[in-house]
Amino acid sequence: MSDPIIKAEHVVKQVTTSTDSLTILQDVSLQVKAGESLALVGPSGAGKSTLMTLLAGLDVASSGEIYLLGQALSQLDEEARAALRCEHISFVFQSFLLIPTLTARENVMLPFLIKGAKQDEVLANQLLQQVGLAERADHLPSQLSGGEQQRVALARAFISQPKILFADEPTGNLDQQTASRIVELLFQLNREHGTTLVLVTHDPSLAERCDRTLHIAAGKVAE
Amino acid sequence: MKGNLLTKWRWRECWQGQLWPITLALTLIVACVFALAALVTRVDKVMVDQGRSALGGDLVLVSNQQAISPELLSQASELGLQYSLQTRIRTMAFSDNGMQLVSVKAMQSDFPLRGELVLDPTPINSHASHNTAAFYGHVEPNQLWLAERLFNLLDVKVGDTVAIGDAELTVSGLIAQDPELSFNPFNQMPTVIIHLDDLAKTGASLEGARLSYRAYFKGEDSALKQLQQAPITPSQRWISEQSQGRTAEFLNKAQQYLSLTLLLVLLMASATLVLTSQHYSNTQRDTVAMLKSLGASRSWLKRWLAGQLLMLFGLASTLGLVAGLALEQLLRLPLKDLLPDPLPSIGLIPWLISIGVALLVGLPSMGISLLRLLDTPATAIIQGETKQTKAYWPFALLVLPLLSLVLWFGSNTLMWLTLLGLVLLLILLGGIGLFVTKLLQQKQWGPGITLALSRLNRSKAASIAQLGALTCSLMLLSVIWLLRSDLLDNWQQTLPPDAANVFAINIAPEQVAPYTDQLEQWQLPHSLAYPVIRGRLIQRNDEVLQSSQATQDEAQQSEKDPALRRELNFTWLANLPSHNELVAGEWTSQGGVSVEQEIAKRLSIELGDTLHFSVNSQTFSAKVNSIRAVEWRNMKPNFYFIFSPDVLANLPATWLISYRVEQAQSDLLNQLARDYPTVSVLDLRTMANQIQSLLGQVAWSLTVLASLAVISGLLLVLTLLRLSVSQRQREIKLYRTLGASKKRISATLWAEYGIMAVIAGFCAAIGAQAVIASMVKWGFEMQPQMHWWLFAALPVIAIGLIYIITQSMFKQLLAPLRA
Repeated sequence: MSDPIIKAEHVVKQVTTSTDSLTILQDVSLQVKAGESLALVGPSGAGKSTLMTLLAGLDVASSGEIYLLGQALSQLDEEARAALRCEHISFVFQSFLLIPTLTARENVMLPFLIKGAKQDEVLANQLLQQVGLAERADHLPSQLSGGEQQRVALARAFISQPKILFADEPTGNLDQQTASRIVELLFQLNREHGTTLVLVTHDPSLAERCDRTLHIAAGKVAE
Repeated sequence: MKGNLLTKWRWRECWQGQLWPITLALTLIVACVFALAALVTRVDKVMVDQGRSALGGDLVLVSNQQAISPELLSQASELGLQYSLQTRIRTMAFSDNGMQLVSVKAMQSDFPLRGELVLDPTPINSHASHNTAAFYGHVEPNQLWLAERLFNLLDVKVGDTVAIGDAELTVSGLIAQDPELSFNPFNQMPTVIIHLDDLAKTGASLEGARLSYRAYFKGEDSALKQLQQAPITPSQRWISEQSQGRTAEFLNKAQQYLSLTLLLVLLMASATLVLTSQHYSNTQRDTVAMLKSLGASRSWLKRWLAGQLLMLFGLASTLGLVAGLALEQLLRLPLKDLLPDPLPSIGLIPWLISIGVALLVGLPSMGISLLRLLDTPATAIIQGETKQTKAYWPFALLVLPLLSLVLWFGSNTLMWLTLLGLVLLLILLGGIGLFVTKLLQQKQWGPGITLALSRLNRSKAASIAQLGALTCSLMLLSVIWLLRSDLLDNWQQTLPPDAANVFAINIAPEQVAPYTDQLEQWQLPHSLAYPVIRGRLIQRNDEVLQSSQATQDEAQQSEKDPALRRELNFTWLANLPSHNELVAGEWTSQGGVSVEQEIAKRLSIELGDTLHFSVNSQTFSAKVNSIRAVEWRNMKPNFYFIFSPDVLANLPATWLISYRVEQAQSDLLNQLARDYPTVSVLDLRTMANQIQSLLGQVAWSLTVLASLAVISGLLLVLTLLRLSVSQRQREIKLYRTLGASKKRISATLWAEYGIMAVIAGFCAAIGAQAVIASMVKWGFEMQPQMHWWLFAALPVIAIGLIYIITQSMFKQLLAPLRA
């Protein structure tokens, strides 16, 4: 059996406010295998997003350990975690987060810019073609609809051939019809690229399409 | 390719993103600083040149009794300085028909080193044929040039022989223009110019004679400075262009106004920079979080932002310098006649200063918010607003500009007062504004206003900042504009268009009535006739100020107040002239003297003191009954001491009348000169015209500059309001989505911003009054005035601006929220 690509052991996340401290995640342990798709579901405020930020190395746990691609995140400083994300991880956000002054194609190539790698326009065009936006490659985000913007974001997420893709409510800002097209596209690309997918969602139908679903309630995880 | 995309991105951010207001503000800073620095450099050069022309050289060493040492002169030569020597002596001039005490200037042929000496060998008065082409600019050996008055006083003409001491010389002509001629209408003794080589022949240069030696120097400023380090004796002194003339004073005030305006423009542009940078970094938070989550390291982000800033700076500097060059041309246009042709080069300084100032202002105002932007956590994008610990170290960026401010202002109290006053006012006005909104809230209003008031009161810090900023910018705008108006008014008053431009002196008592009648007949506006008696102040109460006989040597005299060194002009009047302001005491018609306040201060003269005077060895006393303020620049006859008639009326006097003659009426002036040959006429028309036109030119420049400052201020206000409205955007769109009518939304916006505009406008009017009054009084030493109309104008302007903003953004605001 291959090593898990993500492994969390007894992870606790607490935040301290001015008056007291609040435990958001309590003793969370989980494993995600390479190529697997995992949905994190639960009511608002349950700790889904917090867990995702910890698993992706955007934040650090108060206690416990997370191994990402075999590396213990508590041993890495912020820069090292950024380097790890840069190399192997990608994101899709609820609010798309495209750069308004860059065209669709340029937005797709953004990860190359961060990596300092060669701007592979051919690959960017291919991906735009895959998400059905070949014709709109030179449009600015403001000239695209919400669904189109999220498709550009998907193309951006896959261009760096990430090992893991984290998606935070990727259809949260879209109408149902557009949302289902985006979901199709997300799973199709995931299959084609063999990417591990961690998905935060409220949508049960979206969660059902994943290999596994983790329910989070009051900071605790149940499968 | 990689660099290409980054560059494209940064370039587009400068134009399309949130960065363009920053680019604009920075461009404005560079342009204004460049234009002003360049203009000031040029005007400075003009002032120095004018001052030096009036000196006859770049620097003059005056030495009484003691010839200038050869060591000093050889040092001057070593320093590469050119010099010209002059010896002055007072002696008698004799002709066949008369004699007169004259001031002889024995000079070398190369005098003047600066300015113009015009010697006219064929003056009209000499009855020789008039040939205007034959002017001399330098004196040659064996020549003798006389001041105009001497032709009458000695009754000679060109070609006649005049004895100066023992030397017999033939009159060569008239001194038409002496660079050293002072504005003083009572110009000491008539001047005679001879060559230095002829001085020995006069025999007047013998030991014991009252000689004064001068050395005129010309050359590099650094060499002049070095020369001034040379040791001199107590009876020697340096004179440079720092001893200011009349035009220098106007230019000085204009310059002071320029630097003040520059400071205010900088303040407003910096405020725009801070606001827009803050707004920019707020809008970029999500982008930074997204970039971080995609794996951008801190150093990558730093490079990204640094590159962005660099491009922004490059762009703003280029645009700013181009705009600055154009602006300088525009500001210079009205000054064309004043500036030398060809123009002296502005050198590197304005370029360096403008970029330097932009860096100093730009670094902290943009740097602080951008450096804090780097601290945005990557989780912000997923978890929304997360608590971010705000770093304070970026504020260290403020140290450099603050230090530069200290260096720049140094001990310039006006600037510090302005800054301190602004800070205090800002706090005070923000507080007043908030207090007023609180007060308004206690009354019953319609729903729109009630909602607006509660919102203003709820977000206190934001409201204070917004109110304060709006108030402050409106206030600064008014200050710049009104200060300009006050300054121009004051100049206009000191030199009104109908000011006298000719002084007639030495009018004999019996000539006064016919002379005045003649002026009346020609309808030339003229002053009263003032009796003039020359004499000395010798004693204050029991303290002897100087001997009644003018026998002291000049070395002793030079240490005294200038008013004691020479004879002064006294007059007597039944009443004080209306153009003098009584500052203390009361005019009495018996045994009294009224003293000008500056000289009273210098000589510690107080009301009730008994002053003793001497006129032609005859002494008399008078009691100080009043102190007067005198505006010396107004071209009216003015006196240090005015006596009640009983004190002086019995002494022999000549009379003085000032009047105005237009340029085209020169023939009237010539006729007066022919009819009254013994009356000396001082024609100041050219000088007065020069000053008038200089004033006009400077006024135009100030207006252009003030307009620019006002435009930049309006830009700030517009930016401010736009940012504020766009922050409300989401809220308003929500109302719209929930079905609020256009009318309702418009009413809500108007209620909130209308209240703010009225309060800010009103507070700004109060602030502007206070600032202008204190600046006018302490900075420019003029009388403050009230500008009541500000209280109506500023709120109206503020509401007008808000109208523009809401109208331009309305369509955008009314679109319902998407998704």
